[in-house]
Amino acid sequence: MDHPAVRYLIVIASAAFLQYTVVTQFRIAGVSADLLLVIAIAAGMIGGAERGAIVGFASGICLDLMVTTPFGLCAIAGLIAGVVSGLLEDATVHSARWLTMVIAFLASSAGMLSFAIAGTLLGRSDLLSGHLVTILGIVGVSSAALVFPALRACRWADPEDVLLRAAAR
Amino acid sequence: MASSRRRGRARITISLLLLSAVLLLTLDSRGSGPVQSARSAVLSVLSPLGSAASTVVSPFRDAWNSAFDQGDLKKENETLREENDRLKGDVTANSIAKEQLQQLLQLVGIPFVGDTPVVHTRVVSGAVGNFGDRLEIDKGSNAGIERNMPVVTGEGLIGKVIEVSENRSVVSLLSSGTYRVGFSVVGTAAIGIAQGSGGDGSLRGTNIDSRQAVTVGAITATSGLAGSPFPPNLPIGTVTAIRTNEAALESTVDISMFANLNNLIYADVVLWKPAG
Repeated sequence: MDHPAVRYLIVIASAAFLQYTVVTQFRIAGVSADLLLVIAIAAGMIGGAERGAIVGFASGICLDLMVTTPFGLCAIAGLIAGVVSGLLEDATVHSARWLTMVIAFLASSAGMLSFAIAGTLLGRSDLLSGHLVTILGIVGVSSAALVFPALRACRWADPEDVLLRAAAR
Repeated sequence: MASSRRRGRARITISLLLLSAVLLLTLDSRGSGPVQSARSAVLSVLSPLGSAASTVVSPFRDAWNSAFDQGDLKKENETLREENDRLKGDVTANSIAKEQLQQLLQLVGIPFVGDTPVVHTRVVSGAVGNFGDRLEIDKGSNAGIERNMPVVTGEGLIGKVIEVSENRSVVSLLSSGTYRVGFSVVGTAAIGIAQGSGGDGSLRGTNIDSRQAVTVGAITATSGLAGSPFPPNLPIGTVTAIRTNEAALESTVDISMFANLNNLIYADVVLWKPAG
C-alpha cells in the first residue's frame, strides 16, 4: 500500500472511474476534460520526464480500455504529455502557479496532438480535422484548471520523489 | 555524472514505453483477441456504474448544459416550435415516401431488410474520450447482439456494433470514417464504397462506374454484396453532389445520411450476420 507504484495505481484507477462516470457527462462543444492525461502531466511535473512517461503510459492504457480508437493511441498521448510536462518543469527556473498552468496546457496539447498524428498515420484521417483545435483548447484549459488537485494526488502517491527532486533542484 | 546516467536511463525507459505502445497498436490493428476481450470486460464492469452515475449527476449535467447553451436555447425553442408544426405535415409525407422506398427497393429485386429481426435499444451514453464517434446502447449479448451487426434508426443506417458485453454494446457511427460500407444507388446498377469524413452525417462515395446514370437526389442503400458486413437495402442517404473523372471512367459522390446522428435516443440493432 505504501509503495509508490501501488499508490499511483490507486490514483489512476480513481481518475479512470471519475472520467467514465462523471467527467464525460460535462462537455463543452462535445469535448470533456481528460483526467487521465492530467494525472500523467502532474506525475511528470513531480517526478520528471521518466516518471511522467511511466504514469502517462499506464493511465493511457487505462483510457484505451474505455474507448474505441486503436489500442495504444491513448498510451502514446499520455506518455508524450508526461514527458513534455517533465521536461518543461525541469527547464523552468522558478515555479509559479501560472507557470504550472501553462505547462499543463502545453503538455496536454502535445499529448492530444500526438494522439491525432499517430492516429492519422494509422489511417484515421478524421482525427486531424478542424475539431482538433477545439479539443486542444478545451482539454488544455481544463488540464490547466485540474492540474493542482492532480499534483496533490501525485504528491500523495510518491512523497519521496517530491523531496528528492526538491533537494536536487 | 549521476545526472547524465539518470538521463540515459530515462531515455531508455521512454523509448521502451514508446515501442510497447507501437507494439500494442500493431496487435490491435491485426484484430488481437485479448484486446477486444479486455475492452468488453471493462465495459461490463463500468457500464452499470456509468448508468447509476448518469442518473445521479443528471441535474448537474442539465444545469451545466443550460449554462453553456443558454444563448442558443431561446432560438432553439422557437425553431423547434416551427419544426414541430412542419413535422406534423411531414409525418404523412414520410410514411408515403417510406412506402415508395420499399416499393422501389423491391423493384430492384432484393427483399426489403425490414423482414430481418431487430433489437430495440436505448442510447445510454456518448464517447468517453474526445476522439472517435461512438455511442453506447443498453443491450448486449444477452439480447442476441454480436459484433459487426448493423445499427439503424427509423431513417436509415447509422453504424455498426464494435464492442459487446452482456448488457451493453458500443456502436461506431458510420460518419466516424473508421470503416467503409458498400452501397448501391437505388434504381440504377451503380455500386460504390462509402466512407464517413469524421464529422457530420456526410459520406463520400467512390469507385462508381461513371457510365451509370447517377443523379443528385438519388437514394443510396447498402449493397450487401458477398462478404459485405451489412445486409442489402439498408437506406443510407441521398446523393448531394457528383464529380466525374472521365479519364478513369469513375464518379465520386457526396452522400447526406438520412439518419440524424445528433441527440440519438433510440437505435435498433439488426440481427444480421454475413453468410459464411
